[in-house]
Amino acid sequence: MEAVSDPQTAYRAHGPALVRKAERMLRSREDAIDVVHALFADLIPRWNKSVDLPYLYRAVTNRCCNVLRDRGTRARLLEREQTSAAPIGRVRLDDEVVGVALIAALAEQLDEAHMQVLVARFVDDMTQDEIADHLGLSRKTIGKRLDRIRETVTTLRGAA
Amino acid sequence: MACIGEPISWPRLERFAQSRADATIAAHLAQCPACAQCLGEITSDVVALPPLAVPAPRRRTQWWWFALPALAVAAIVLLLVIPRAPAHRDNVASIKGVGDVTLGLVRDRAGNILEDATTFARGDRWKVVVTCAPGLDTEIEVFVMEAGKTTADHPLAPARIACGNRVVVPGAFEITGAVANRICVLVASDGDTGTACLTVTPE
Repeated sequence: MEAVSDPQTAYRAHGPALVRKAERMLRSREDAIDVVHALFADLIPRWNKSVDLPYLYRAVTNRCCNVLRDRGTRARLLEREQTSAAPIGRVRLDDEVVGVALIAALAEQLDEAHMQVLVARFVDDMTQDEIADHLGLSRKTIGKRLDRIRETVTTLRGAA
Repeated sequence: MACIGEPISWPRLERFAQSRADATIAAHLAQCPACAQCLGEITSDVVALPPLAVPAPRRRTQWWWFALPALAVAAIVLLLVIPRAPAHRDNVASIKGVGDVTLGLVRDRAGNILEDATTFARGDRWKVVVTCAPGLDTEIEVFVMEAGKTTADHPLAPARIACGNRVVVPGAFEITGAVANRICVLVASDGDTGTACLTVTPE
């Protein structure tokens, strides 16, 4: 884990990577910057040694999910997604590159723990071992959560 | 675009973009156009982050700040509950057995009566009134002292009065001169004495 000394240093060092991550979820550079900037602004008063890079990645995931749960913002991002450049789809969920619509739909069905696994696997393209290390969980737990995510996607498609 | 094997995750690519230290990733990138393109996106990307304003540290709140409301309430209670010593007034004499005897003056100027007047002119007539608790009586002797003099005039004869509200001491007198005068009553009862005075100034 990378050491993160203080908010300003961390913001300069990891801000761009976190913005790119948020942009992969939201498909909007402006919204991604807003998410990351707001995260650091909120963290400044309570910055401590427990704030490391994995923590920042998880926090960005949570904040992006919250953005997508907001119906007004979601509609705007979905509209914008149509015109934004499609990401390089290296890891797919049931042959589908996970986009704004699917993340938003799953954010309403799944809890935070499952959303973290979903984003780590299908947005950040992490392996199950990487996710287990990133979230401090066993690989078996990650596998179970991925199964639950796939079941939910199947249910969503059935309902659609 | 598909990866040739297991894709290098974005966090690993981000780290690699900074250090280029991982030989395994370098080997994969050399053969995988998909992952190489992802790395290219990272290295060619410029993120314009807005400045992060770090607020000035807040001043530590002093412990007593939280006690201020309680202290304010306590102060108000003390003011209301603790009996305050009566401010000494020059025109009141406290006599044992009689209590407070308050001196008052009445000025008669050509028929115009003014109570508690503080100025005098030639021809004014003054009467002395005293107030003390009803049901008691006390000896009253009026004397007047001009400012700067050490001797007093006794314009009225000593009198024994029955206490009450603004009881008029028998007799009236005039004040002359161009300096201030102190009009006093010496009050006596059962061996205890006290003096109450008022100052009147020339107009």
